[in-house]
Amino acid sequence: MLARGVGRSSVFQTLKVMLTPGRYGLERWSYVLQRVSGVVVSLYFIAHVLETGNFVGGITVWGVPEYSFAERAYEETVKLLKNPVFDVGLAVIGFLVALHTINGIRLILAHFGFSLGRPRRPEPFSPPPSFSTKQRAIFWLSISLAVFALLYTLDSLMRVFRP
Amino acid sequence: MKERDLMLLHYITGIGILVFGSIHIATVFLTYPFQGTIWETTLRFDSIPYAILPVYRNALLAASLFGLLLCTTIHAMNGLRSIIAELIGARKRWVETLLVAVGAFLLVYGTRTILIANALV
Amino acid sequence: MVERVKFRVFRYRPEDGGRGIYREYEVPVKKGMTILDGLIYIKENLDPTLSVRYSCRMAICGSCGVRVNAIETLACHTQILELRRRLITVEPMRNYPLIKDLVTDMAPLFRKQKALMTWLIRQDTEEQENPTRQYLQSEEELERYLQFTYCIQCGLCYSACPVVSTFPDFYGPQPLMKAYRYYADSRDEGGVVRTRLVDRFEGVWRCHFAGSCSAVCPKGVDPALAIQLLRRAALKG
Repeated sequence: MLARGVGRSSVFQTLKVMLTPGRYGLERWSYVLQRVSGVVVSLYFIAHVLETGNFVGGITVWGVPEYSFAERAYEETVKLLKNPVFDVGLAVIGFLVALHTINGIRLILAHFGFSLGRPRRPEPFSPPPSFSTKQRAIFWLSISLAVFALLYTLDSLMRVFRP
Repeated sequence: MKERDLMLLHYITGIGILVFGSIHIATVFLTYPFQGTIWETTLRFDSIPYAILPVYRNALLAASLFGLLLCTTIHAMNGLRSIIAELIGARKRWVETLLVAVGAFLLVYGTRTILIANALV
Repeated sequence: MVERVKFRVFRYRPEDGGRGIYREYEVPVKKGMTILDGLIYIKENLDPTLSVRYSCRMAICGSCGVRVNAIETLACHTQILELRRRLITVEPMRNYPLIKDLVTDMAPLFRKQKALMTWLIRQDTEEQENPTRQYLQSEEELERYLQFTYCIQCGLCYSACPVVSTFPDFYGPQPLMKAYRYYADSRDEGGVVRTRLVDRFEGVWRCHFAGSCSAVCPKGVDPALAIQLLRRAALKG
């Protein structure tokens, strides 16, 4: 029952609507970014719990292991993670976490009715009160901090590559 | 559980992640003397063996890490629940059961890691 | 000063089954001509089989909602030359069952409005039917909901909402906005009933403040604001 109203929509059609901000403006971009960052960071979180679990020996270990065993497990995990793909991935995660955090605060404020304008008589060519300056400022702050986090991690990465 | 309570839980855990996550990042980044870049000492794990784990031998920090684990698990699973329902266009019981199972596993497995790290070395 | 603009219009005939197609028409455009004028020109001169719904031609009735260049708008409220495009794509609104060409079935919108009891609720129905006195409101009480009464139920917000697109059971911006319009009315006594109605999975919680509803509203109603305020009310319980 999606775009064309003919038949029921497939997951791919809904995914397309969910991921394309179109020409609806800043708030729609925030919706898409919050959604994507939420899913990606959740997947990172699952991977992070599994990976830190491997540092102490993996799923078979449920007590404090021998030092030599733990050291070997640690070395193996480090070998797996020493990989430019994971490095760049971590920089992206930094970007997404910063974005999701600050934008999330913006959404919590909006959900509790703070930082929005008050209902007023509509006037021609004036933006809706919910698209308030405060809301948009926090959105741009989240983007700035996310870019800062991305640049910071990328810079660290570059220095690692430098001899 | 009512949707309203779940949503409140989502906000509370979100703020919890902000607090405990800041502590987590701060401990990882700041408790170690920098050898080379921050990246090398903490994120790439190759300068110091057991770079991260001994931090959490402090019981308070271990508890805050558990708080982060708990908040993130709840927040992530609840978020995924709503996103998946909105993606496939309906609530499915098996999806929600799966998410609860994944969340429970992450909690148990993560807690185990924290406990081991706390007693190790 | 006549310009020629190409209209790319979505055509769908239910008896043909399957998906619709786009057909192109060249329309001579004068200053001040609206999308609706263009569609009527096509219907009168180029293709009489084109179906389009309209009535007042002055953004009052809310019948002619369409998607023009991938954004929802009233056909009568959009001037062709203001778009500054040589090619104008006109599609029916999303999220509604399609009847024919640009005509959609608005039933889901009205069904959800009814489910949310978007009318004045009073305990004393006898007094409501035969009032014995005036029920005056202060300016502040009026301002709390006045903006939301400007809604003409054109359904553009419901079409623009990304959540309704992906999760059709969601009540949608317009019905929730209307629920808040009555919740905020000082004469209404439905408070707890209303917050309970929207406190369910497909209620206010599915709004993620994507703001598309308010971005497309031709009357400046701001459904996104109403939903956030309704959610605050529901959070307070």
